[in-house]
Amino acid sequence: MKEKIKHIMKQVFELEHVYDNISQLSCEKWDSLGSLNLVVNLEEEFDVVFEPDDIIEMISLESIELKIIEIKKKQ
Amino acid sequence: MEYFIYRNHTIEPFFNNLNIEFSGYEDISFVDKSIDKYIWCYLPNYKVNEELIAKEIDSYAGMLHILLHKIDKSKMFIVFTMRRIYKVDYQTIDDSVEKAIESYNNQLKILALENPNLKIVDIGGFYDSYSKTDLLDWRFYYISQMPWNPKLSKPFKKWFTRQIEVLEFKRKKCLVLDLDNTLWNGIIGEDGIDGIKIGGDYPGNSFLFFQQSLLELSKNGIILTVCSKNNEEDVFEVWEKHPNIILRKNHFVNIKINWRNKVDNIQDIANELNLGLDSFVFIDDSPTERELVRQLLPSVSVPDFPDHPYLFPVFIKNLIADYFKSYQLINEDIVKTQQYNENALRTQLEVSFTNFDEYLRSLEIKIQIETLNNLNIARLAQLTQKTNQFNLTTYRYTEANLLSIHEDNGLIFGMRVQDKFGDYGLTGLIIIKFEGGDAIIDTFLQSCRILGKNIEKVFIEYILLQIKNLNVENVTAKYIISAKNKQVENLYDKCKFSLINETDVDKEYKLKMENFNYLSSNIYKLHGKL
Repeated sequence: MKEKIKHIMKQVFELEHVYDNISQLSCEKWDSLGSLNLVVNLEEEFDVVFEPDDIIEMISLESIELKIIEIKKKQ
Repeated sequence: MEYFIYRNHTIEPFFNNLNIEFSGYEDISFVDKSIDKYIWCYLPNYKVNEELIAKEIDSYAGMLHILLHKIDKSKMFIVFTMRRIYKVDYQTIDDSVEKAIESYNNQLKILALENPNLKIVDIGGFYDSYSKTDLLDWRFYYISQMPWNPKLSKPFKKWFTRQIEVLEFKRKKCLVLDLDNTLWNGIIGEDGIDGIKIGGDYPGNSFLFFQQSLLELSKNGIILTVCSKNNEEDVFEVWEKHPNIILRKNHFVNIKINWRNKVDNIQDIANELNLGLDSFVFIDDSPTERELVRQLLPSVSVPDFPDHPYLFPVFIKNLIADYFKSYQLINEDIVKTQQYNENALRTQLEVSFTNFDEYLRSLEIKIQIETLNNLNIARLAQLTQKTNQFNLTTYRYTEANLLSIHEDNGLIFGMRVQDKFGDYGLTGLIIIKFEGGDAIIDTFLQSCRILGKNIEKVFIEYILLQIKNLNVENVTAKYIISAKNKQVENLYDKCKFSLINETDVDKEYKLKMENFNYLSSNIYKLHGKL
């Protein structure tokens, strides 16, 4: 799953390479619109729906992966 | 930049395939003359008060008038029509918003008649493919003020790209049509003139519809040609004698009825008509023929053929939208528009303003300036974190940072803004620090919600007045370049500061307080709560 998320990030943020420690703070293109774009693409890829509270917490590769696992468990 | 879009919502994901720049929300103050094409995309707001929404729509029409005068008449100005996605039906009947939208759309038509560079794109053409619940996802509306579901950004981009092609008169010129099972049901060589079906009951009636639609296309200037594997005399008999047939020999500009392969025939048609193959659309029910043409003549457009005759209406609609739509206001529209002219023009004059100041005055803007307190500290810190465009230095602060600036005798001013359409809340911040008797503007930012109304000038001048009252001699200020704050690069020049130093990454300014005179404006109601 991590690789899939990284692949999406690469496309959304137009990056050459995505490191495991990527976060909203370290990535310039990851602004509020980038974040929204990411959410839309993640929802399509993983067939999940994020609540606004989830979206606020999704600020790094790690937190996104955990969030998707958490939502998948509930499904 | 090729495009510049004026907008009142967050619509970036829907246009990011274009080389495009975005205005601030409801910001018409700025016209970049180097832009090729301008776009106007204003949508009704999702507010509770119907009358307020209607008034806002009227004011958008007024804003459009002002902007139109500022835009070069030789530049294309693409304007979206307005439609409503969300409405609550309370028991009382209130159609004020519907009326405002109707009047807005009619005004667009009038403007388009008067200004050849103004082109209308009907947003309905996109909305119609989706249900209202698909069009809007409230999650993204409340998170980002996104008026449409971002999941539709891909189809939207495709649709809008096509609309631009239509405006640029890019359309196909010629249709190459097969006959058997394409223009009629059945095979003439086997079923005979009595056996083929066109008109009458199903499926003949749907082929009749298809032929009628093609005739309409031909009236619209599209060249119809035939390419069919048949005996010529069989087909000619049908054209001469079949009672129900619509398209007959004289409707076709070029006819190839023979047993040669269709690729050669299409090439011959192109040569004889002196048209490029990229002007051609080929329609044939046989997948093999379609594939052959696709492979060997890749510039010819080859749409899939409907699986069932009853799907012709959908097929023809897409065919026209994808290849043949032309931009013109049809006559009926123009007549209707003229009827509206007198009525609409009258209402239009009420909302259109002769100049920008008058427009600003009509907004009844109220500005309140306050210092740091327990209630605003969280929001002010958040503003430093989130504001990118109108932010001169882009310093990011936490609440603790703000408190320590305050304790070090810095001054922190927040600004609240409201107008007759609503309250924008705390949307501006200026931080002043002192060093050796001089004042330094450490931070100057505004949320993009309130840009384009010259509020920044009122804000900074009011703060400069406060500083002057403290007997400070000089104020220094900095513009630090970031990826997003280009729009304020000359702000301090406009505020009459002198540039004292410039590097690749920043500009330093100074203002002698003896040169500063405070002029109060009668456009805004300003209230200091210090």
